[in-house]
Amino acid sequence: MVDSLLWARGLDKQFRSGTEPVPVLTDLSLHLERGESLALTGRSGSGKSTLLNILCGLEMPDAGVVQVLGETFDSGKPDAMNKAEARWGNLRRHQIGVVFQEANLMPALSLLDNVRLRARLAGHNENDCQDWLERLGIGELSDRYPDQVSGGQRQRAALAMVFAMKPTLILADEPTGSLDHHTAEAVIGQLFELQARHGCGLVLATHDPELAIRCSQHMDLGHQPGT
Amino acid sequence: MTLPAALFSHYRRHPLQLLALGAMIVLATMLWTGVHHLTSQARASLEQSESAVAGRQQVKRKDGERVTVEDFVKLRRRGLCVMPWLEVTSPETGRVVGVDPLAAGCFGNPDREESPWRGELDGRPFVDISDAAELARRQRSELSLLVSDAQDAGDLPSGYQLAPFRVGPDTGELGDSFLLNLDALGVLVLLITALLVRSVYLLGLAQRRDSFALLHRFGVPRRRINRLLAIEIMVLALVCIMPGIWLGRWLATGLGSGFGRALEGLFDQPLYAGRDGGWLMPLATMLAVVLVACLADLLRPLAQRLSGDARWVGGFLVLVLMAGIAVLIWASALVWLFVALAMVFVSAGTLAPMLISRLADGWAGRDTDPLSRWRHRELSVLARRLALPLVALQFAMAMVLAVQALVTTFESTFDRWLAQRLEAEYYIEVPEAVDTGLALDWLSEQSELASSGLWHRVVRGEATLMGAAGEPGPVVDVFALGPVGPLVTGWQLFESTAQPWRALQQGQGLMVNEQLARRQGVTAGQLLKVKLGSQVLNFPVLAIYPDYGRPAGEILVNAAVLPPDFIPGFQSLSVSPGTLDIEAISQQLKQIWRVEELTVRDNRAIAELASAIFDQTFVFTRAMTALTLILAAIALLMMGWVFFSTRAWYFRLLVVWGLSRRQASAQLTRLAVSLTSAIALLALPLGVWLTWALVHRINPLAFGWSLPMVVYPRFWLELGVLSLLVGLSIALLMRRQLKTPALAPESTSALAGGER
Repeated sequence: MVDSLLWARGLDKQFRSGTEPVPVLTDLSLHLERGESLALTGRSGSGKSTLLNILCGLEMPDAGVVQVLGETFDSGKPDAMNKAEARWGNLRRHQIGVVFQEANLMPALSLLDNVRLRARLAGHNENDCQDWLERLGIGELSDRYPDQVSGGQRQRAALAMVFAMKPTLILADEPTGSLDHHTAEAVIGQLFELQARHGCGLVLATHDPELAIRCSQHMDLGHQPGT
Repeated sequence: MTLPAALFSHYRRHPLQLLALGAMIVLATMLWTGVHHLTSQARASLEQSESAVAGRQQVKRKDGERVTVEDFVKLRRRGLCVMPWLEVTSPETGRVVGVDPLAAGCFGNPDREESPWRGELDGRPFVDISDAAELARRQRSELSLLVSDAQDAGDLPSGYQLAPFRVGPDTGELGDSFLLNLDALGVLVLLITALLVRSVYLLGLAQRRDSFALLHRFGVPRRRINRLLAIEIMVLALVCIMPGIWLGRWLATGLGSGFGRALEGLFDQPLYAGRDGGWLMPLATMLAVVLVACLADLLRPLAQRLSGDARWVGGFLVLVLMAGIAVLIWASALVWLFVALAMVFVSAGTLAPMLISRLADGWAGRDTDPLSRWRHRELSVLARRLALPLVALQFAMAMVLAVQALVTTFESTFDRWLAQRLEAEYYIEVPEAVDTGLALDWLSEQSELASSGLWHRVVRGEATLMGAAGEPGPVVDVFALGPVGPLVTGWQLFESTAQPWRALQQGQGLMVNEQLARRQGVTAGQLLKVKLGSQVLNFPVLAIYPDYGRPAGEILVNAAVLPPDFIPGFQSLSVSPGTLDIEAISQQLKQIWRVEELTVRDNRAIAELASAIFDQTFVFTRAMTALTLILAAIALLMMGWVFFSTRAWYFRLLVVWGLSRRQASAQLTRLAVSLTSAIALLALPLGVWLTWALVHRINPLAFGWSLPMVVYPRFWLELGVLSLLVGLSIALLMRRQLKTPALAPESTSALAGGER
């Protein structure tokens, strides 16, 4: 388990609705090896996005331990957590690619400049950025701005950004949720293909059961205790 | 939920936006009402003064002596309908004018409501002449005898002549020019406040546009939505304008006395009555401004058709800017100068955000670092999206730069001028009906005074400039002194011939003040024909000297050239006693003149008093401009904060992509500070240019005298620091948002990257 790409144990997270505590994640555990994919399903509000945010350090769990690429984050050890932000930042910058349902691009930059920015932040050169856009079928749109292309093309650009940073782990939060069926199929096909080719891990939050079946692991957060 | 409730629900979710809009309307109304109130009071006072004496003329003695009660009796006995006008001036009561209500019948029905004698002068009612005569026993007074405009000079007994009558010195068109200046300041304040109100309103509107689109999809006609929006802003305006007017009047009342003194200092006559003004005008104006500023979007399709291609608009604006500068340099009428000012302000204000945006895009194109490229692109977006509050801040900064430079220059110039004029340590008033010659002889004989001190005699009176054909021209003040020595030879001169003071010492010419030179087109070296007493003398103009703060034309001559029949209005001795004691000098003069009392004034005390009065005036000017600046800075702060909030997601993306919050905050700070610094930089040339326009073009035309053009880089630095503070404050407020999980953009256009 120590060599796993990603594992988590005993994760708890609750929010408050007024004065009432609302548990979202209770004693949740998971693990993922390199090259594997994990589908997170569940109804809206079941905690899929919250779990993804915890797995990339954008939110802290109330309890539990997360280990990503050998870096351990134990919410029970506040001293270690003090430096957690910098360690998480380093991981997200170089190793973890995050894709949201929408608004993944900087609106003031062209598609190519968005990809270049992400590559440079990860410490890579910009040479293959245009290639990534070509591979995702939007090479001719590289000079366009996000508001000048369709939603599907924006999501492909978001994938190009993720792959340009050469990630070890990809966290995708309903990346095709706002796309029509055909476009969604094309985009998700490219995501799986590239994930398999580069051997990185993938955690995918989705409502689509068919999509979940295509992943090597499946976790239904709707069956979480307390949900 | 009803439709109005659905529309208004935005402000239930964002109460701060409603508060900001309301506060902006209140503050804008306060600022404009304050300026308008002061301006309208000054205008009313000037018009009242003019109407009280419009079409009047007076009877004067041909021998130059002042008219007396005996003259009045003589003229009445000859059947002339003459009205006495007794003006009493004292430091305690100011100016009191006594008129004879019975004699006022000379000018028509005295009981008519519109008769000026039933009104007020300088905010004070006219008094009966018997009351004024009572006051005249203790105070300085001057009697004039007024006759109607229909009176013919041929009916006058010999020894009398007709002359125009004025309440104060002839200010020419200066009064109107000054009021035009105040109106221009009011318009500028109105423009800035309109920009601020519009910018805050547009911000809320941008966030509500998706809700409007949704309601439209639900079947609500756009026209109905627009109507409800108009009603909403009208109700809000009505609620906020009234307290704004009240605050503005309170502000004007508080600053009124300083303002009044400023006018008095400039025109030698009270121009500020300090009465209550109406509420209707500010209410109607501000309501119109708020409605136009907020609802101009409804005219957007028309504006877009008119504006056309953006590149063409940019070129057109540059042309307007150049034309405005050219008109300002060459125009000679004040109205055209203000038109030119407006052209430059409008074009520079519209071009400034475009320029920042294009420069940022240019930098982004050259950047090799993608993060800098993003920052510059983001700066370009912000410059365009925050154009209105940025331009308001730019205008406010330019105005503050110009007014500060003007006021500081005036302060230092006035101090120097005062020091020149009050070079002697004391001045001694020469009592009436004494032989000045005896005193002059005694002073000349004092070897100790000659070796260690300085003195000269000052004679004041009036002279008439004569035309080339010998026809009488304007009456000017005479400032005669002698001996011409070091008390005056250090004066700064604008223009002079060779060794002007030496020539004046020898009585070989005269000097003229700037006001007279400007009005009559007098230059150094030309010959001037002047009637002093009964003699017409030809003098070369030796120099033109500065004479700030008064409109009257004046000639400076050596007292030795005054003819024996010249009647002095006032005489004094300026004395720096050196090793002698001023007390000993005054005692000796009392003995020579055989008087018991002698008025000896300490010039340092006078200088301090004059400076204190002007200081109070400057506080008013600075307070108004500082208030405008603060308002503009707060508006940009609010707009910047709210607009940055809509971009919070993109800063959050940087955190998602691995930047620490500190690094993302640093990007945010650089962006905010770049934006505010850029607008401060662009305000600088506009401010310097406005200073030049005020000093070299508007001030001479409006007031008749010019100031040296001085710039104060310390102000620039202070404004730079202010712009940094606004930028840092925006960044500080935004940092708090970065600490909380950011939500993805709400609006559909933002999701698609439409806010580029």
